[in-house]
Amino acid sequence: MIHVEHAVKRFGGFAALDGASLSVPAGSVYGLVGPNGAGKSTLIRCLTGIYRQDEGTVTIDGQPVWENQALKARTAAIPDDWFYFNQATIRDMCRFYRGFYPAFSMERYEKLKEVFEIDEKRSLRRLSKGMQKQAAFWLTLSCMPDCLILDEPVDGLDPVMRRQVWSLVLGDVAQRGMTVLVSSHNLRELEDVCDHVGILDHGKVLLERSLAQLQDNMVKLQVVFKDGGGVPEGLPVLHTSAVGRIHTLIMRTSAEEAQNLLAAYEPMLVDAVPLTLEEIFIYELGGANYAVKDIVL
Amino acid sequence: MQSKTSFFNPTLFKKNLSRFWPLWGGAVLIAVLPPLAMLTALLDRGFRSHGMEPLEMTSAYYYVVSWAVPIISLFYAALCALAVWHYLYNHRSVSFYHALPVTRNGLFATNFLSGMAMMLIPYAAAGGLSVLISIPAGIFEPLGVFMTILYVIGQSFFYFASATLIIFFTGNPFAFAAFYFIFHFFAVLAEMLVTHLMSMFYLGIVQGYEGVTEFLSPTVYLFQNLYPDAVTAEVVTADGWVDYGHLQSVTLDHGWVIGVYALIGVVFLACAWSLYQRRRSESAGDVVAVGWMKPVFRYGVALCSALVLGFVLYNVVWSSFQHTQTADALPMAVCMAIAGVIGYYVASMLLAKSVKVFRDTWKGALATAFASALICCVIAADPAGVESWVPDAEALDSVSVNIYGANGGSCSADLEDPAAIQRVLDAHRAIVGDRDVLDGGTRGSLGDVHVNLIYFDKDGKFHYRYYDIYIEDESVTQTNVYKALAALAADPVIQEASVFGDVTNNAEEVRLTGGYVEGLYDTETRGFVSTDLTKEQAQALEAAVRRDIEAGRFGRTLFMLDYNEYIDSVYRFSIQIHYTVTREYRDGSTRTNSDNVYLTPSVYCTETIKALEQAGVITDSRRPLTRRQYDENRRYDDEGEWWDYEKYGADAEIYA
Repeated sequence: MIHVEHAVKRFGGFAALDGASLSVPAGSVYGLVGPNGAGKSTLIRCLTGIYRQDEGTVTIDGQPVWENQALKARTAAIPDDWFYFNQATIRDMCRFYRGFYPAFSMERYEKLKEVFEIDEKRSLRRLSKGMQKQAAFWLTLSCMPDCLILDEPVDGLDPVMRRQVWSLVLGDVAQRGMTVLVSSHNLRELEDVCDHVGILDHGKVLLERSLAQLQDNMVKLQVVFKDGGGVPEGLPVLHTSAVGRIHTLIMRTSAEEAQNLLAAYEPMLVDAVPLTLEEIFIYELGGANYAVKDIVL
Repeated sequence: MQSKTSFFNPTLFKKNLSRFWPLWGGAVLIAVLPPLAMLTALLDRGFRSHGMEPLEMTSAYYYVVSWAVPIISLFYAALCALAVWHYLYNHRSVSFYHALPVTRNGLFATNFLSGMAMMLIPYAAAGGLSVLISIPAGIFEPLGVFMTILYVIGQSFFYFASATLIIFFTGNPFAFAAFYFIFHFFAVLAEMLVTHLMSMFYLGIVQGYEGVTEFLSPTVYLFQNLYPDAVTAEVVTADGWVDYGHLQSVTLDHGWVIGVYALIGVVFLACAWSLYQRRRSESAGDVVAVGWMKPVFRYGVALCSALVLGFVLYNVVWSSFQHTQTADALPMAVCMAIAGVIGYYVASMLLAKSVKVFRDTWKGALATAFASALICCVIAADPAGVESWVPDAEALDSVSVNIYGANGGSCSADLEDPAAIQRVLDAHRAIVGDRDVLDGGTRGSLGDVHVNLIYFDKDGKFHYRYYDIYIEDESVTQTNVYKALAALAADPVIQEASVFGDVTNNAEEVRLTGGYVEGLYDTETRGFVSTDLTKEQAQALEAAVRRDIEAGRFGRTLFMLDYNEYIDSVYRFSIQIHYTVTREYRDGSTRTNSDNVYLTPSVYCTETIKALEQAGVITDSRRPLTRRQYDENRRYDDEGEWWDYEKYGADAEIYA
């Protein structure tokens, strides 16, 4: 569905995207994660036709995004700083969106009115940030897009509304096969909704896998070695820590293979613990010189 | 629903008009005020036009087209352009618009049409109301209305297209406003800057505006050149009155220029469209949004700063040490180099949106300093010979000469006679040949002589020269400059034009009607008397004056350096000769007005004095006094007031 290949986007001498490649399967929810300044927003602006990449290709359904009116009519986006006209109400914006998105559904709009419970005649600029975000989802989901691109989508929403919004989005994914690309720093939340994840750093996609593959490819083990010994050398360990005799090892391998490797050292205890997306993010980027630094102030 | 065409989006069009209705609504409100005033005036007169002709309405429309529309459109186009294109100046809005399912072509076309609609709605409201009022009043003239519509559309299109082009060059509204107005007045500003620089180094050049490239500043050009051209005729009206200025036709002179500007507007629009295809959304907020324009901006600001700030620095720092009329090249070069570098860094800071630019731009600053100093030196060297330039007689249509003598007198003449023009050119050559005499000082102990020369070319251009001669001592009378100017001041053709030119210029008919002599001394009453001249006396006097002019007797006192000789030569009384003059005016009408020739003769004007004696105006008891006679015999009372002869009586002998 969404395909980015070797995309390069420079601002002056700085390459915000430096050969980024990713692939989002149709009907999937793809989480784009990365540290600040990794190029996530730039990539999203390329995907929504705001920026034209200097090099590489950015396509949706095999068609280039840039200046593709028909394609953009099937794509909707909610940026981090959603724009609305000064003085405009949700109803005004609804009329505006209807004029641009041929699939805009008034029936959907009316149904969502009950979900969001915001007075559609109130000026948008008088709404709170969270309510503006709700309005953005209300209007965007009424566009009935085939492809939805979200940048920090649930910032400002309360936990109930977050769950409500994700429920609506995932409902569209399930019912209409909508493809979603979502960029967020809330990895805990992404873990719940994404089936694919890509990690972007310094303008490049470091890795992209399905969430299951990602979790299979990295393991956290709690190990107690015989005679209170330390972690033997030669193990493919990304990170170690110890509390008393219990060592916690992060290894870039499957749980089964890790246990096979450790068997040679006859540990007293080996216990595999599932890694959260946040841990995967931290340890993957730790390998890319983005580890948490112990700085004494 | 979305439009099927990619080039126009009705939703966006309607949104633009509905969002910015206060802008065009306010403009409509202002625009309909004049027609409403006309309506109330007509209502007051029972909806009768009281002899107003339809062509007068056309003339009124054309006045609006020539004077009001260029200025209104200049400002209003900027506002409309900012309204429809302002989204390009903000990251949030530009991202929103460019993420919409509409191509940049579609955005461009729709926004441009929205802006044009906003431009034209107020004009349409005012025009429509005027037409609605003029039809029942019987002053509707369809051709005039049609042409006015074309002119208004043409000007609105040009101004809005130019504003659109500037929008795409810039990244924020402040930069837009600055660039837009500089763009529209660039030719005028550039010429003033260049002439100012030349005036600093070249004698005879004064800072001014000749309009050499005025067409590049459309508002000024349109304002100066567009005017209703009316053809009139004498018509006897139904009630027996003779209407001398009955309108036969009205056209807008230079109206075709609007068409040319509209075509230029098409080019601007094409450039703007091309820039939009290349414009990066991320340029929102930048001063200059187009990459290749950034060095143009940087060095343009540096150059302007070198010229303007350089002069200011020079005047503050060095002008006290300058002892010639022209500027000293080396200090000026230093000042321009410093000012150029300041401008360069200011531009660099604006482009970088940071004050930390010194490390990366010092090479450019160095180049700017060198270039600014070089420009100064090149101009000071005058490689084009601007200072010594004297026009070719064959290229001239006419010459206007103004000479201000050492004692306060002056003569002014507009000359078309080739021989007289040649004599002016010879004098001009003498002036430029004696450059050192002119440049020698900045104030004269014996007085100053000034000369203005305005050359009008056959192709409509004009050239202006102004020279000051500061007279330190009488040796200046031996210079070619002085001799040439003294000869010019006494030249019969120049004096003829100076004395009678104001009356005869552009006159269709001149009729002498009488005259008046003021300030003759009455030896019996010891007061000053005035007397009217009959038509015949005035005719004889006019002929005598012409004989004196022909003999070179007028203008002789203009260059007298000896004050005693001057006050012994110039009379204290004055002469007026009355005329009625019929002229055709620019609006096509022909009017007859009274006009006068004013003269102050000298003792050399023997024919004039003789004519006054023959007319019985000057007699033994009514004498003309010279300045000295007048000053020496005029008395003051104890309080320092003029002596009142009627109050105190005569107690002193006055010249008799």
